[in-house]
Amino acid sequence: MAMAALRRDGRRFATNPIPLNILRSSLVPSEEPVSSGVRNISTQVVRNRMKSVKNIQKITKAMKMVAASKLRAIQTRAENSRGLWQPFTALLGDTPSVDVKKNVIITVSSDKGLCGGINSTSVKISRALHKLNSGPEKENKYVVLGEKAKAQLVRDSKKDIELIMTELQKNPLNYTQVSVLADDILKNVEFDALRIIYNKFQSVVSFLPTMSTVLSPEVVEREAESGGKLGDLDSYEVEGAETKAEVLQNLAEFQFSCVLFNAVLENATSEQGARMSAMDSSSRNAGDMLDRLTLTYNRTRQASITTELIEIISGASALEG
Amino acid sequence: MTLNLSVLTPNRIVWDSEVEEIVLSTNSGQIGILPNHAPIATAVDIGILRIRLNAQWLTMALMGGFARIGNNEITVLVNDAEKGSDIDPQEAQQTLEIAEANVKKAEGRRQKIEANLALRRARTRVEAINPIS
Repeated sequence: MAMAALRRDGRRFATNPIPLNILRSSLVPSEEPVSSGVRNISTQVVRNRMKSVKNIQKITKAMKMVAASKLRAIQTRAENSRGLWQPFTALLGDTPSVDVKKNVIITVSSDKGLCGGINSTSVKISRALHKLNSGPEKENKYVVLGEKAKAQLVRDSKKDIELIMTELQKNPLNYTQVSVLADDILKNVEFDALRIIYNKFQSVVSFLPTMSTVLSPEVVEREAESGGKLGDLDSYEVEGAETKAEVLQNLAEFQFSCVLFNAVLENATSEQGARMSAMDSSSRNAGDMLDRLTLTYNRTRQASITTELIEIISGASALEG
Repeated sequence: MTLNLSVLTPNRIVWDSEVEEIVLSTNSGQIGILPNHAPIATAVDIGILRIRLNAQWLTMALMGGFARIGNNEITVLVNDAEKGSDIDPQEAQQTLEIAEANVKKAEGRRQKIEANLALRRARTRVEAINPIS
């Protein structure tokens, strides 16, 4: 009687495929059904999965290291470039609220992905600004820097894009290169106000989407004379050229190239920072996943060992009985 | 009354401290600035900036930009700046000679303008080493 019960139990253990199947289906949903009785295949799948997770973790770790070393180099340069636009802000002000007809939105983004949300943030802000400034008799144009913003903006606002420039960071960023770029923009685009959208680097984990406004010389003069937001400028005597307009023209061009230089550097720093934290969290996720997989793997292995032992024991006791 | 001078380039801060007097080359000639100067915004030419500090004159080569003077604060924003003492005399002299040769070779409007600008930059650097006081 007792032997019969044991035999029944043994058979149930040996032929019951349900626990294994549950594990398998939760791990690899697309796996084709495996006939019951083949136990090792499940551990094989888990082992493969573990191997690929380990490899991914290695890659993300390496990418994090690379981003960290790049970040350190570019952060000092971005901080040095901040000193340059502050005097401009003191003199000409940063006046986002000045109402003008022709707005040009310059969206700064990165060329490469895997860097968190910084590109979609700047695209989102640009779109919002476009909507905010649109109205009758108003013109809004985009100038796009970087591959990622291009990919997002080309889809729905192709007709508004005036100029696209990519592969800015192929060589290390320097002022000469950026001022040539700024010249290109000034020559090819008509504007009353340039609004540069970029991610300002605050710390490795926080980036502030920022808008810097550069007004055209005519608007600067108009605002200064009407004593509006740029009233301060009128207290300065303007010297150094034939006319005031000429000086303002030069000043606006110089201001634009400096502000753009700073914006591009800040954005590049934010990109590296964002990539670093994104890669850090994905290596951590890979670690967690690996832990879970190891646990399942060991459990499955132990289960199959137990089942085999029971088979042997019950087989032997059946012979004895 | 003290006068604060800061000279900034896109890549670094070249000078940021008190001075007694400066002489700045603007597009319309040189201007001297003493404490309590009237507020001025001016374009800065490619030329020498002279700084008086502790009764001594220092020189600096400026490569064009802007200056803002007001409230005893002088802010000079330039494309590039070099202290006279940091320039290698031999290298500067060589650059000047190359620039002079290039001016003679230059053809076409654009090239001539560029060569002339390069010559002025080179000349300024050489002048910054041996200031004619």
